[in-house]
Amino acid sequence: MKLSIKWLKDYVALPASMDELAHRLTMAGLEIEGIHRPGDGLKGIVVGQILSSEKHPNADKLSVTKIDDGSGTPLQVVCGAKNYQVGDKIPLATVGAELPGGMKIGKARMRDVDSFGMLCSSKELGLTEESSGLLILDPALKLGTPIAEALGLDDVIFEVNVTPNRSDALSHLGIAREVATLLGVPLQRPAAKFVETATEASSKIEVHIEDADRCWRYAARVLEGVTVKPSPKWMQERLKACGVRAINNLVDVTNYVMLEYGQPLHAFDLDRIGGAQIVVRTAKAGEKLKTLDEKERPLHAEDLLICDEKSPLVLAGVMGGASSEVTAQTTRVLLECATFQPTTVRRSSKRHALHTESSHRFERGTDVSVVPEVLDRAAALIVEVGGGTVLKGRVDAYPTKKPARQVTLRTARVAEVLGVTVEAAECARVLSSLGFVKREGNDVSATWDVPPARVDVSIEEDLIEEIARIRGFDAIPAALPRGLNALEPERTSVIAERRMRAALAGQGLDEVVNYSFVAPAELAAFQAEKGAITVANPLSIEQSVMRTTLFASLVPNVARSVRHQATGVRFYELARSYEPHDHGGEQGKPVANETLQLAGALWGVRDGARSWTGKDAPVDFYDARAAVEAVLAALHVTDVSWVPLESPWYHPRAAASVLVGTRVVGTVGELHPRAQKRLDAPTGVFLFQLNVEALLACAQLVPQATALSRFPSVNRDLAVVVPMELAAEKVRAVILDVGKPLVDDVRVFDVYAGPQVGEGKKNLAFALRYRAPERTLTDAEVTEAHQKIVAEVSQRLGGALRS
Amino acid sequence: MNDRLVALAAAAQRELETAVAPEAVEQLRVKYLGKKGELAAILGGMGKLPPDERRALGEKANAVKAELETKISAAITRVQELALEQELKGPRLDVTLPGRGHALGRRHPVSQTLEDICGVFSRLGFVVEHGPEIELDWYNFEALNVPADHPARDMQDTFYVDGGSLHAGFAHTNPVVLRTHTSPVQIRTMLAQKPPVRAVMPGRVYRKDSDQTHTPMFHQVEGLLVDQKVTFAELKGTLDAFAKAFFGAKSKTRFRPSFFPFTEPSAEVDVSCVFCGGKGCRVCKQTGWIEVLGSGMVHPNVFRHAGYDPAEVTGFAFGMGVERLAMLRYGIDDLRTMFENDYRFVAQF
Repeated sequence: MKLSIKWLKDYVALPASMDELAHRLTMAGLEIEGIHRPGDGLKGIVVGQILSSEKHPNADKLSVTKIDDGSGTPLQVVCGAKNYQVGDKIPLATVGAELPGGMKIGKARMRDVDSFGMLCSSKELGLTEESSGLLILDPALKLGTPIAEALGLDDVIFEVNVTPNRSDALSHLGIAREVATLLGVPLQRPAAKFVETATEASSKIEVHIEDADRCWRYAARVLEGVTVKPSPKWMQERLKACGVRAINNLVDVTNYVMLEYGQPLHAFDLDRIGGAQIVVRTAKAGEKLKTLDEKERPLHAEDLLICDEKSPLVLAGVMGGASSEVTAQTTRVLLECATFQPTTVRRSSKRHALHTESSHRFERGTDVSVVPEVLDRAAALIVEVGGGTVLKGRVDAYPTKKPARQVTLRTARVAEVLGVTVEAAECARVLSSLGFVKREGNDVSATWDVPPARVDVSIEEDLIEEIARIRGFDAIPAALPRGLNALEPERTSVIAERRMRAALAGQGLDEVVNYSFVAPAELAAFQAEKGAITVANPLSIEQSVMRTTLFASLVPNVARSVRHQATGVRFYELARSYEPHDHGGEQGKPVANETLQLAGALWGVRDGARSWTGKDAPVDFYDARAAVEAVLAALHVTDVSWVPLESPWYHPRAAASVLVGTRVVGTVGELHPRAQKRLDAPTGVFLFQLNVEALLACAQLVPQATALSRFPSVNRDLAVVVPMELAAEKVRAVILDVGKPLVDDVRVFDVYAGPQVGEGKKNLAFALRYRAPERTLTDAEVTEAHQKIVAEVSQRLGGALRS
Repeated sequence: MNDRLVALAAAAQRELETAVAPEAVEQLRVKYLGKKGELAAILGGMGKLPPDERRALGEKANAVKAELETKISAAITRVQELALEQELKGPRLDVTLPGRGHALGRRHPVSQTLEDICGVFSRLGFVVEHGPEIELDWYNFEALNVPADHPARDMQDTFYVDGGSLHAGFAHTNPVVLRTHTSPVQIRTMLAQKPPVRAVMPGRVYRKDSDQTHTPMFHQVEGLLVDQKVTFAELKGTLDAFAKAFFGAKSKTRFRPSFFPFTEPSAEVDVSCVFCGGKGCRVCKQTGWIEVLGSGMVHPNVFRHAGYDPAEVTGFAFGMGVERLAMLRYGIDDLRTMFENDYRFVAQF
């Protein structure tokens, strides 16, 4: 909300320093987000009067004027404008002034004539975007008056961030109340003085509230003989300062009083209300209303309306209708001031996508008790700025009187919540200064009447907050929490995540963080099996589906990098995938299956960029597998096996499931060429995906030591030619099986296919390590064991030993 | 024979002095001291000598042998040293060439920051809890004292999930949202356990917003401490300790009254500007303070929804945006770059 400091001064005495005032308000919960001084850029510009004007001797388009700036010595100023007459008052930028546009005014010589200043247009003063000619000022202005003061711009505007609970602070008077409390100074409420005529307002209008749940109070006054015209300068200036456009004196008064009290009002042309009655009701089937913004709106059965005997006039609390709008011809005015149920106004406002100054206040709650005062204040102002007379009395329909809210405060509870003792007298001082009234009680406990404007206060904690807020949070000491008796172990998931990330960092993978939602096309490339969860109101179609696999983001990450000239990337992401859950949402269960995944994508030059050591070798399946192996090793996962996998996501030549025991914990492989094309990705993208929960289930975060053998090992190699499709792991398994218990370790150290081993075959070379825990092996027993292995490998797998 | 021995010693001495390669020394050793060497040849003729001559000559031969062994040993040391000298004078590697293999992988600034935040609270005894991101409206709003039709709902522009995309039997009347904050995890944590609670709840959150300082998804860390007689003073102490641990020991905090539907009293927490130390600069908009988190004492209605008795326990809660802290920490200007995942961006951290 924009707060005019000049206006605020009507109600409360302010300190000299605006920064200090802003700080006090901010520290009490009314955050001042900005301070603007519209007159700041207008120093050195004053009200001047044109005493004479003559054609410039050397220039057709210029004039030489004599200007009185109030100093008594006329100044000669050369001017190019034509829209003035001698005697007009105009803004004079004196020598030394700087215009808002940045132009500095100095003594100038224009075509051989001296000029001591500049006469300004409204554009040059930064007041309007465009202007034609000089800004002609009010003739009543005193010469030499600073222009900011003359135009009412000598103000300071605070941008106040009013939180949704503080509807009482959506007005100058509401903030004045806060300032008065904070500074300990009195609050001066506005006056409403007018003389009523003998005619009763109730003889001119009747009010019927048909829906008392939605309309709590509806009060009105009638004025006659009013003249509609522009409102006076001071009122226009204040409205403008608060960002409200001036329209005419009647509408301006309703807006002015709204900004003053926070209570919206509405002015009708009484002659345009049918049947001399106001009916407050909800909409009937098929009803429509043309609102002030000229839109014809079909109404909803729950929209609350202000109607005459036949048709809707106003969408209650939101916006007026065109049919009963005040016009230049209006003389008889019905002034409305009402209280509506906040929910009703909010729903109508949402339904019609109409957020107005009025709905903003009503949906936050308004003060039902202030209605008569506001109505009188507005009536008095209308008489002041539009003439006319006020008919006798208010028509005030208030079916169910709202009682004052009462809240009990236990003094000890203040200390329990805040952690600092506040004496009962101090609590009372703060609450009283905010307008709370003590109904009964003592130093232990007291019951307070809540000021009706404070619709946010209803429980004891609210009172405690008021006390803390007004005294300042700085008055509360800081202390570390008591009662930490035991530390729980760190969650295994936290430990495991840290280790997995470190492992992948070691493998050279950079971490990415992607949005959880992707474009349907990105997900379609991975053929989500169960269907995906979609966002009903996405910002764009690109962010509309909850990803069922992180690949839907990672592959586009790679594609993007390639477009940006990457030569090699290694990415991983640790995040959830989302799928429908058969019993989701039932009995506290999560709505969806949210599965934490660790997924990666590798592409391009193995070393990331071209390097003198790695040359330009590209990554392949075994780089992706190495990343997975690193993660498994980081968690000390054992009993891992790799099983060829058929999957629409992966290229059939390079895809595997990762099993721990019999449980699949993830997959690894090359991106399927079809998915690659759909995602506009390069060829040769290698992916892996691991289910973190499954990994955690088999992780061994604290590995156990085994004693080292003190006896030497014997190393022998074994080379065997086998059919191309035979998995090396099968051969290795046979070696381990047959070699029990002497074979301590077996690893493949060479794989060769070529003319020397024949078509459809490959040579596998293994390094075997023999060792016994309790003794030194003899050459003979190793040789015997080795020969047995050779024989068995040949027999079981059809391999031929290669010497 | 004695003369032969003397000549042999002299010849060996000469040859050893000129040898420069270790192999040459070895050859000389074989030549003179080997089984078929010259000394052995001389000694082989000794059998024909009378015993007393044989003894004298034997003594002489042993002396020559010992002398030669010492000299050979010295020669080996000398030539090895020579060879080492040669090697040390050899060509140097180009040490300016880069090391082998791929570079170290980098952490995303958001996940690094998130881990560090949780790490600070872990030192204060908070444990990490997680909860669903796709959440019922009840957990995200109602249970947190934000009823439907409350203006506070405007504080967070919400993404809704298309109910038709959930499972076929999904018949909840409660709308499903992408959680707008990590606060629903508070509710789930309290529903699942008895007090005391001391937990931090990190995770992804979603709001329908996108510009230089807003993305439709970002991360929060929520904190909750519930016990008997927890006070606002402890909230201040905890968050001040956090600020000092995270931003530096000289950091100061400032608590400003604010409004969140789920806390009462509520406070915004500012930390002294990490760039100017509080003097005022562009980052803190000349105020010396940067708003970093929201906090407050848990609202009694929240306790009721979570099955706790507000007469028995009090507590505080806080929440912070991880991206904002990461931006301050790493000097990142545009939030959106965090999620573009340009390989050049990621490689910086």
